[in-house]
Amino acid sequence: MRGFKLRMVLLNALVLVLVAAMLMPLLYMITMSFRTATEIAQAPLGVPERFAWENYLRAFGGMNYVRAVLNSVFITISVTGLTALLGSMAAFPLARNTSRLARIFVLLVALGLATPNFVTITPIYVIFRDLGLLDTYLGIILAFSALNLPLAVFFYVGFIGAIPQDLVDAAKLDNCSDWQVFWYVIRPLLVPATATLSLFVMLMVWNDFTYPLLLLTDKDKFTVTISVYRFVGNTNIQPDMLFPAAVLGSLPLLVLFVIFQRRIVAGVTAGAVK
Amino acid sequence: MTSRRSMFLFTLPALIVLGLFFVYPILLTFQMSFTSFAGVGEAEPVGLKNYDRIVSRSRYLNALWITAKFTIVVVVLQTIAGLCFAALLHRLPAVRNFARAALFTPAMMSFVVVGYVWQFIYSPFSGGLNALLRGAGLDWLARGWLGDPDTALYAIAIAHIWMFTGYTTAIFLAGYANIPSDVDEAGRLDGASSWQRFRYLEIPLLAPSFTINIMLSTIGTLKTFELPFIMTRGGPDGATRTLSLEIIEQLFGRYKFGFASALSIVMLVIVIMVAVFQNWYLRRREDI
Repeated sequence: MRGFKLRMVLLNALVLVLVAAMLMPLLYMITMSFRTATEIAQAPLGVPERFAWENYLRAFGGMNYVRAVLNSVFITISVTGLTALLGSMAAFPLARNTSRLARIFVLLVALGLATPNFVTITPIYVIFRDLGLLDTYLGIILAFSALNLPLAVFFYVGFIGAIPQDLVDAAKLDNCSDWQVFWYVIRPLLVPATATLSLFVMLMVWNDFTYPLLLLTDKDKFTVTISVYRFVGNTNIQPDMLFPAAVLGSLPLLVLFVIFQRRIVAGVTAGAVK
Repeated sequence: MTSRRSMFLFTLPALIVLGLFFVYPILLTFQMSFTSFAGVGEAEPVGLKNYDRIVSRSRYLNALWITAKFTIVVVVLQTIAGLCFAALLHRLPAVRNFARAALFTPAMMSFVVVGYVWQFIYSPFSGGLNALLRGAGLDWLARGWLGDPDTALYAIAIAHIWMFTGYTTAIFLAGYANIPSDVDEAGRLDGASSWQRFRYLEIPLLAPSFTINIMLSTIGTLKTFELPFIMTRGGPDGATRTLSLEIIEQLFGRYKFGFASALSIVMLVIVIMVAVFQNWYLRRREDI
């Protein structure tokens, strides 16, 4: 038994070392963000001689950070809400309808799950340009919603299909309209499903780079990812700009993750498994 | 379902958004792929010329090959790494929750941030990796990882794997949670070693998790764009120019909308073919 115990201790230690190794790039990012460019050039792996807060001041201003965070929050929440609402509405009749049309729709939606956004990006750019949707919040919200709707419909069809038909029938007997059935009977039952789906959509939208890169050019509408990209640039990259921008760019989600990590990991995993 | 009309009204908003910004664009991409559309003006029909160009120029075949290589490396290594972590953590309840969350953290970051940080880690003079190697006396290994055509793609793949190994681990751990505990118990009573249980009980029972992990990571990496865009811009010498990078380059670098559309259609066909094949193969494997 003693040998067994010792082995467990060693295994635990091994895992912790491996996890620490995986976290090194994060630690590196945070450490470097407090060092000056000269320090990094002289000793690439050193610790900060003093906290170079001026790095952060510059990044904070240069990225227009507050504005970028607000833009990301606004776009993310709008897309999540719109996707959840339209997705669950569409799934409500589709979940029980066995007509050929409904099945074709669900099949199309399933194909949509695998469709890369590069297939739609060229025409979306052209359509947006012609409709004047380039560089607008509405445009990017619609583009993201369309990208995530197949997932939402697919997801909700599964959940609504599992709701007992008796509930719907009972509400119908009480003279509820279809809309009332949906809003007062179905929607409350979908709250856990919506929470899982929203996590997925939020993560995807918040961190997406391609759509805002191509569809937004107005500085005042930049999301966090784009403001990191524009601030750091792609030639002559300066570490004292790169690292604080990287930390600021990931800070909102990392803070949320530290608080809700258990629910986020469980939710994202459940969403993928479904 | 009382009235068909009210039911139709429920799907209508989703249909409009999906139709305008999803189905119509796909059809338009298909149509544009047979033209020489340059973003403005008339689109000249050119028949199959764009597709012919893709299969006859080494540049584009190369982009396909690079995409395939990147996908295979990432999917294989990430699945193995995730499986190893999950198998260890399954046996170590004391550190399981902490390790799962810690490993998952990079997946909360954006490709832009991960790309920049790793780009600097790999940089030749003040980068962290070379400093580490020099410190360990391995000077001969130090190099400009992203500037060398032989290492650039693999360097990017490592950053990608680093980002998503925690995700894979979490999905495998969810699979482990679904294995009935008496199966494990029976294995123990029969005197199976930890390795034997892993090889002959756990791996077959984890088949559904393999399906999810492999399909998710394959679809995700086949369209990989952000990391090579940030870290190398497709260089050096096209060594990291993936299909999606080529699409964006043709689109916004050269305004060849028609040709970019043909590349997008190729990508769509590849992604759907791979997804359908994997789904068929991996699900069949689950039943055995």
